[in-house]
Amino acid sequence: MASWQWFHRLGSPRWFYEKTGGWLPWLTAVALVLLVLGTVWGLAFSPEDFKQGNSYRIIYIHVPAAFLALAGYYIMAVCGAVGLIWRMKLAFMVMKSAAPIGAGLTFVSLVTGAIWGKPTWGTWWAWDARITSMLILFFLYLGIMALQSAFQNREAADKASAILALVGTVNIPIIYKSVDWWYTLHQPATLKLTSAPTIHASMLYPLLTMVVAFYVFYAVVLLLYTRHEILRRESRTGWVRELIAKEGGL
Amino acid sequence: MTAETSSRAMTGTFGATLRRDLLLAARHPGDWINPLVFFLIAISLIPLGVGPESKVLAVLAPGVLWVMALLATLLSLDGLFRSDFEDGALEQCLVSPSLLYFTVLAKVVAHWLVTGLPLTLLSPVLGLMLSLPGGYGTLCLSLLIGTATMSLVGAVGAALTVSLQRGGLLLSLIVMPLYVPILIFGASAVNDAAQGVEVGVPLAILGAFLALALALAPMAASAALRVCVDSD
Amino acid sequence: MHPVRRQRLLLVLFIVVFSSVAIGLMAYALRANINLFYPPSQIVSGEAPVNTRIRAGGCVRPGSVERSKTTLETRFSLTDGVVDFPVVYSGILPDLFAEGEAAVVNGSLNKERVFVATEVLAKHDEEYMPPEVAEAMSQSGGDHDETCGGMAYGS
Repeated sequence: MASWQWFHRLGSPRWFYEKTGGWLPWLTAVALVLLVLGTVWGLAFSPEDFKQGNSYRIIYIHVPAAFLALAGYYIMAVCGAVGLIWRMKLAFMVMKSAAPIGAGLTFVSLVTGAIWGKPTWGTWWAWDARITSMLILFFLYLGIMALQSAFQNREAADKASAILALVGTVNIPIIYKSVDWWYTLHQPATLKLTSAPTIHASMLYPLLTMVVAFYVFYAVVLLLYTRHEILRRESRTGWVRELIAKEGGL
Repeated sequence: MTAETSSRAMTGTFGATLRRDLLLAARHPGDWINPLVFFLIAISLIPLGVGPESKVLAVLAPGVLWVMALLATLLSLDGLFRSDFEDGALEQCLVSPSLLYFTVLAKVVAHWLVTGLPLTLLSPVLGLMLSLPGGYGTLCLSLLIGTATMSLVGAVGAALTVSLQRGGLLLSLIVMPLYVPILIFGASAVNDAAQGVEVGVPLAILGAFLALALALAPMAASAALRVCVDSD
Repeated sequence: MHPVRRQRLLLVLFIVVFSSVAIGLMAYALRANINLFYPPSQIVSGEAPVNTRIRAGGCVRPGSVERSKTTLETRFSLTDGVVDFPVVYSGILPDLFAEGEAAVVNGSLNKERVFVATEVLAKHDEEYMPPEVAEAMSQSGGDHDETCGGMAYGS
């Protein structure tokens, strides 16, 4: 069972807290460097689009945010499933932390989409299939957060919101396929796994940089939230008290 | 035990729960009449709000009928498991050896028979009041399928919020996003029918939602009941 | 059979049957036109219904845009390169609306089979490139635009 040892260790919040403490400064540094690099490259050095001019530059925020809004939902649902099946406390803590971050990113992608939509499509908001689905995703995040905070009992809160997150996953494939089904305003995905991207290399590389930057940034924020959650939930245990005594805090 | 008696035991779980819930509904008419009255009053507010012009109302009618049916279903969901939770009957269901799936399914079927079905039967009359130009058959059929799906999906939300003191508002909050696809296809079916267009596609999709909900929603609701009832 | 085991069997059957029904209905629905979207060929051939709200799309045929001098009314033709149909719209057109670009229109066909649009949306494609590249590609005859580029506009 040696191969499973890491998995069981992962179940221990203390192990997780101590391990990730060392990673955090490095990840933060990488995220900052990539964010600055991608932003400067995308806004200042990449060329104008031949049709949309400068307004296309908002993809450097819109696309990564939308990517992570979706990926974040999957991360949350998978953590919920792991928590329900293996009864792992840590998974629930990650799930709880992922919800507000995902909601924030969904909001960012909706707002940047609206700002982009005004000059290109001629409207702030269209009840287009993909925009509507993103809005529903936002509502799902809000519902999960509301359910999480409604329970007095922490275990019930975790399990109930995990079930809701899993039920909500039915919506995600609908969101993803909606553009093909309804053929509406929103353009199909630019970055595809199976075929070459339909964006010129001078614009693609800054975009990819921004996507990676957002992923690392997401990891940093998720770690911070989760570590905070661990300290809150484990505040009565010996190791957290020791930690506080050592840091000479509070 | 012979196959015959065991099959009776099976229909026993489903049948007994269904009979009991229908009997309870018959004894408390308010539980199922109130959503109907809500539907009626809310629909009659629309012409008062947007004006009595029948041309405008005809355009709005399919969407308004569907949104109001959705809200009426939502309002009635809170009571689905609540009284059983409060008097302890739900805990008995949880500890009984028979599968919770069929108990939940029976309760949802009973809920639909006393809310979704009357709503559907009432809808053509309200369609007339909103001067819906046509498609009354599609209106009934889409609401018949749609309210059943909404009862099933709503059962998950009702189960998740059963142990909460003020679960009603939260229930609407978490269930409404899940209702969006049903609303889109339901209302578009009625819209198409009113304009005399083929409605096979939206009705087929509604049917697919219903079949999927029948398979999965009672399971999710059972899991939710186990979590929420045991913990408090 | 034990009653509980029998119930389990029934549950599995339930799930299998309903899931396959769902898949079957979905497959049926996806074969048909889901959002009443009609390409130019179907509108010209008369497949599209008259006086019903539909959605249509195509490329704005170069040279077909006529703006009224006194009102906001605009007339243009949408084409797929083979056939085209006339559209009337009164209102402000979006910035990206241009001849030779793709557009999506919402509205209905009137009795003369003219599309009366209530909304015109410029559909921009998923390609992004600098102007020099676009210019180079159009000079070399490269097909930079999936929907409208490289299209023979002669009818």
